[in-house]
Amino acid sequence: MSEHEYNPDKGYVALLGWSLNAVEAADKFDRRYVVVAPDWAEAYCKEHDIPYVPWNFERLNDRSVEIAQTLQDMGVDVAIPLFEETVEWAGAINSVLMDKPRLFGQAMLLRDKALMKRRAQLGGIRVGIFEEAHDKDDVIRFLKRVNQTLLKLDGDPNDPIHLKAFDKAGCLGHRVIRTPDEIDSIPDEEFPVLMESHLDGWEFAVEAWIHNGKIAFLNISEYVTLGYSVFVPATPDLEKYREQIRGEIEKLIKTFDIDFGLIHPEYFVTSDGTMYFGEVAYRPPGFKVFELLERAYGFNAYQAMIMCFDPKTTEEEVKAFFPKEVEDAKGYAGCFGVYPRRRVVSRLEMPEETENHDYFESHELTPPMEETVTKRTAFGTHWGLVYFFGDDPYVMRDLLKHQEELDFYV
Amino acid sequence: MSDHHSAGESPAVNLDKLVQRLDDAIESLEQSRPFAKAGKLPRLLDIARRVLLQPDGCRIIEERSERLENAGLYQGTDWANPKILLPSLTPQSLGSTNADTVVIEVISELRFLAIARELYLHPTVSAEQARHHLTQVLAVNLGLLFGLTGEAERKQGRLAVVSQSAVQYLAEHIGYEHVLDSLIEEIWRILQQRPIQVEDVRRMITQIALCRADPDADLGGAGRGADRLISSLYGPTRASSEDPGTVVYEQRLATLDAQALQNEATGFARSMHDTGLVSPYHATFLRFALEHQTSVLPEALGLSSTGKDCLICYQELVYALIRDGVFPETAQGIYGLALMLERGILYQPPVAPGLWRQLNLTLCEPAKERLQLAFGYQPAPSVWLIQGVLNMLGQPLGVGQGNNPTCQSARALSMWAYNDPDYLLQMVAWAARDNEVIIHFEGRPVSSAHSLGGVASEVTLDLDPVSLIVVPHLDRIYAEMGRMVADRQGDPHQWVNPEFHGWASGRGFAINVDVATGKLHDLEGFIRHFYASYHPFYNGNQPLVHPQPAGVAVTDRAARFVGWHAITILRVALDPEGEMRVYFFNPNNDSGQHWGNDVEVSTAGHGEHFGESSLPFEQFTSRLYIFHYDPLERGEPANVTDEELQRVVGRVYRTWGADRLPSEELQAEPPGGS
Repeated sequence: MSEHEYNPDKGYVALLGWSLNAVEAADKFDRRYVVVAPDWAEAYCKEHDIPYVPWNFERLNDRSVEIAQTLQDMGVDVAIPLFEETVEWAGAINSVLMDKPRLFGQAMLLRDKALMKRRAQLGGIRVGIFEEAHDKDDVIRFLKRVNQTLLKLDGDPNDPIHLKAFDKAGCLGHRVIRTPDEIDSIPDEEFPVLMESHLDGWEFAVEAWIHNGKIAFLNISEYVTLGYSVFVPATPDLEKYREQIRGEIEKLIKTFDIDFGLIHPEYFVTSDGTMYFGEVAYRPPGFKVFELLERAYGFNAYQAMIMCFDPKTTEEEVKAFFPKEVEDAKGYAGCFGVYPRRRVVSRLEMPEETENHDYFESHELTPPMEETVTKRTAFGTHWGLVYFFGDDPYVMRDLLKHQEELDFYV
Repeated sequence: MSDHHSAGESPAVNLDKLVQRLDDAIESLEQSRPFAKAGKLPRLLDIARRVLLQPDGCRIIEERSERLENAGLYQGTDWANPKILLPSLTPQSLGSTNADTVVIEVISELRFLAIARELYLHPTVSAEQARHHLTQVLAVNLGLLFGLTGEAERKQGRLAVVSQSAVQYLAEHIGYEHVLDSLIEEIWRILQQRPIQVEDVRRMITQIALCRADPDADLGGAGRGADRLISSLYGPTRASSEDPGTVVYEQRLATLDAQALQNEATGFARSMHDTGLVSPYHATFLRFALEHQTSVLPEALGLSSTGKDCLICYQELVYALIRDGVFPETAQGIYGLALMLERGILYQPPVAPGLWRQLNLTLCEPAKERLQLAFGYQPAPSVWLIQGVLNMLGQPLGVGQGNNPTCQSARALSMWAYNDPDYLLQMVAWAARDNEVIIHFEGRPVSSAHSLGGVASEVTLDLDPVSLIVVPHLDRIYAEMGRMVADRQGDPHQWVNPEFHGWASGRGFAINVDVATGKLHDLEGFIRHFYASYHPFYNGNQPLVHPQPAGVAVTDRAARFVGWHAITILRVALDPEGEMRVYFFNPNNDSGQHWGNDVEVSTAGHGEHFGESSLPFEQFTSRLYIFHYDPLERGEPANVTDEELQRVVGRVYRTWGADRLPSEELQAEPPGGS
């Protein structure tokens, strides 16, 4: 049962989407909360006495105002999106709750990768070459043009391009295309897509908590291999760009007119130190980065998010809540997403060297349901995460990299 | 990948760090909201598994038993209720290929060890119960204990190390030699109660036999006392002593002379009556004798003059029962047959025809399926049912409820078998043939076929054949009767018990707990009344005529209330030492229980018949909360002395009644004082 106690002087928040970790964090926090989730969550919420309002997040439609109205009648101060799909709902709802119509437009901007890039460009933020594609011909043209620009001759290996769905989170629908043949493998229903040139650089992500338009806490997440592994805080090699990164985030805040909440942008830094903006999301990152942050710093990132969204939060509370970036971290926390490497697997077997490693914490891998591993299209989803924690960022980085060579499923 | 200096080799495990991680994981479970606990378990179980792989791992987990349980590790699983955990299921969970199953089972067994060693004072399990549980767990996992691993362990891979080291750790602390010796003692103690269901006992004996036969298992001096048990199953006679297999044995019988056959018969009978266990060879022998030399049958059944007489009077029936009901698989029925003949119940006119009907009974499909599910396809379901009928009629006090909350139904079956055998046969016929049992409640028929459901959501298969078929029906009827009186004031047993168990249950009803509040109610009046109705010194020296249903408040060794339980009061009499005792039947599968506050239920040594439990009258009364009586045959309540009364009241107040004191009594006399 919920043992929740809240402070009536603080705000009343609505969590959009179902995330058990977020619910638990809210239940342990001092703000009144309500979960807004599809009706399949109802039985669970009832059983456990979790405050709940049913809502099916389909596309925005004429009825959308109903949920805003319901929440407003309940006295809710702000809606917090937990998933990519609920970002525009949060914008729509908050524009009603806070009587700020621009919040809805802002959310729509943050939901469309192409619009987002144009807006960033307008704000003077450096982005790579990109274009929208409506069919396969567009992709072929873009691939050719990009490689022409790079002065490649016929027969030279192409530089790849990246294809991403406009409105999906993280690696979902993300493909790397090198040759025109590969374009044929893209199903028609994936269009339209966003195409980007490949940047040979170091990709990383940022989680920035924003309160009153200012950065309250800025974390840099270092990707060891995109889609495989991430750890926090980053190595000194990446942390040395922190001030520069802070400047980039401030530009982003200004350009997108963000007052409060949490943003999760991705950047490339090239060898000469130039930052390229990739994309930005207005929701918690994937790959359990929140859990890694809690492990490294000890604060609950969901609670931090609730605090930053709550309009009744004071400067003092924010200041007291966050630890000092990098300095206050107790160590480095990382995780590795496992993909089976063999085509046929029969069981889960943790490599002994991983299991016995000093940094190894735990894993969430489950025994395989089927023996044959479906071939990965796009970046796909991993089969589960393996968690590590330790004192040395370089040992962490190499350890995570090394996991790619091991079989977890045999 | 040139610069990974630490990732390549397989470093030694840093146990301190691992334990720190374990504690962190436990803490995160402790601090988790109940609705989110499930999400914290995979990490905890995985770390626990790694700890258990370390040499000192079991101790580390054992020390944290209480924290782990309180943190909610078992929440929502059977392990949350350790009292219901069956030792006989542990070989499956310890041998599972699912790591989480193995780990949680191991953690749970280590919890029992912590309880047994009094490192953990558990709210529902006493140290004694925990030790008892572990002895049985070790007994059914002797293979793991002595390192006799097989295919299952191979499939488990490194996980097998976890189960094995845990079982060995348990044995080290319970005592290796104690395991076998106390196991043997345990088996004898159970056998003394002559249960009908001896599957578990047979399995344990087989395990001991296997271990003893294995040259690699080092038993030391332990297990020598098992000879009689092993031979009772695998070679009770001269001609079967080296366990030749029934086929060879049968051929051998053809070559024996009359004297040798006579010796075989005596050997079987002695072994059977000594242990209550029947060897499959015994069945082969009876079937052989039936064809070739019926004169040895009374000897082979070990009959007294009563039994012999009965056999001669109903010779054709007995032969038919052997022919259709006694096979090596159903050999246990021979013991039931012998005791049934001894009881002389065949002389009651309806019983023999009832058994003839049983022999020719056509079983309905659902009954066949249940029997096949429980006992397999060979021999036929009807054979198993005959075995069941023989055992129940021969050992009415050997009925057990299995792992089901159906003590009422088990008690009813036992009562009928004891007191009303032809009615029992009628029940079996209705349930097995018609798949419907009808019992009338205050004139209205209650059918098992039209009931909403029983007390038990599903009746398990660990039952004797008769219970297996009849209990699901009885349970539904019992529950239905309960529903019919749901709107009446007072305890439903008042009306349900006499209608359900039969006319012989007294219509008078006494209860000392107020149903609405759960508080004690007129305790003194209740006690006086019980003495006056049942105690020969206060009721005009009238022995109990019919067995009577009664309800007891069961308490554990620490005298904490465990639950309400249905029993039958069979008789009240002086024991060999001249103490007045209540002899009763407990449908629970093992009646030797310690109820705390020096109330220890005895099953042998105080004048008990097989299957009876007994307690001194005063102690029994202190756990009683419901009894029935004949309103027209009342003794003199006033004659009970105050001193005696206060002793019983004190025992109630000190145990299950402690938090049930009515408010005015609480002021007059604080709990614990008497």
